[in-house]
Amino acid sequence: MKNTAVSSGKGLLITAQILALAALALGLNFLIQTSGGTLFLFASVGPLLVVLAIVILASVGIYKYNQSHHLFTVETYSPGEMIVRQGEPGLCAYFIQSGEVEVLRRDKDQDNVIAKLGKDEYFGEMALLSNEPRNASVRALKETRVAALGKDNFVKLLGVLPQTKESVLQTVQERAKAAGAGGS
Amino acid sequence: MPLLLRSAFIGMLIQAISYGEDSRVAAFHTDPVEVWGSRFLIATISIGIALLLFTLLKYKGATAGPFSWGLLVVGVALVPLMSSGLGTLLVFDRAERVEFCESCHLTMKSFVNDMRDPKSESLAAVHFKNKYIPDNQCYVCHTSYGMFGTVEAKMAGMEDVYKYFTRTYPKVIAMREPYPNHDCLKCHAESAKWLKHDEHIAARDDLFADKMKCMDCHGVDHPAHPDSVRKVAQR
Repeated sequence: MKNTAVSSGKGLLITAQILALAALALGLNFLIQTSGGTLFLFASVGPLLVVLAIVILASVGIYKYNQSHHLFTVETYSPGEMIVRQGEPGLCAYFIQSGEVEVLRRDKDQDNVIAKLGKDEYFGEMALLSNEPRNASVRALKETRVAALGKDNFVKLLGVLPQTKESVLQTVQERAKAAGAGGS
Repeated sequence: MPLLLRSAFIGMLIQAISYGEDSRVAAFHTDPVEVWGSRFLIATISIGIALLLFTLLKYKGATAGPFSWGLLVVGVALVPLMSSGLGTLLVFDRAERVEFCESCHLTMKSFVNDMRDPKSESLAAVHFKNKYIPDNQCYVCHTSYGMFGTVEAKMAGMEDVYKYFTRTYPKVIAMREPYPNHDCLKCHAESAKWLKHDEHIAARDDLFADKMKCMDCHGVDHPAHPDSVRKVAQR
């Protein structure tokens, strides 16, 4: 459910940029070649495109802000459903409450399973700590319930709980070692 | 591709810098605010387009931190909003040009041609060739005096543009109302040349009340106009 939203966020941002481009092109057209037609397009269609682009940008911005400020939102995924995708920006860390997931790493157009995680384990922390895009995908193997913690709150949590921070950093190191170049 | 984009961007900036440099038009006949406003706007829009293309190609819809969000806000919101605002001011200015009027009022093409004809002696042509009205001749003669005249003209203009593009204009194109005397009198009334004629003084009240038309005595406004032809035939 969350992944679809993130992917469509990408599509929505592209749409907003294309709408803004079209509005600017109408403006340029009017300035270079002033006529009733170019004025009509610039003065009536242009503002509509701009308003639409801004609404889309603001909606995606608010959605992403809420995502990164999640405080343990419980999400449920069906078997086979992707929870995070390699290459996408990291917004949340996930703590598995029930079920099982597999960690997949794309190498030469092939997804290789590099780990399986179950109840009381977590994933998605690396991208939050490194500020890099996700370096692996995670897919639910069974009906899986996860508690998603937004990036900001995750970083704050590590700041106030030094022992947890140490444990997380150790896990990150182990995962990086196990996966060669890194885990999820 | 990047080379093509760069060339297009540089081309647009050159266009912005050279905008308004028309050797046929003397510098004192151009409005510096309009020229520099247009240059500034073309440059801003060009930068906005370059910024949007850059973010589209580099990030492909993804956001990687505050910098990419900043670029998005500038490209998607700030530049288009600024362009719309400043552009609207230019719209009001440019919508007064003869070229602008004739771009939609196609049925008046023959009127405009006559106005530009140096051999024509119609009222419109006399005002045009002698520069009695320096520029925006259609607009000046067809707009009432004062701020409300401008507002009225802009509202009517927007209605015209809407009707033109939605094809809801009446099939028989006619003037909204008979040409009002005050569109002549706003310039001519009480001028020394106007007061010199006893006929004006005698008919002053009727002329000011629109009971007697200026055109009843004064030549032909637009020879192609059916009313003008009818009046000439009646004389």
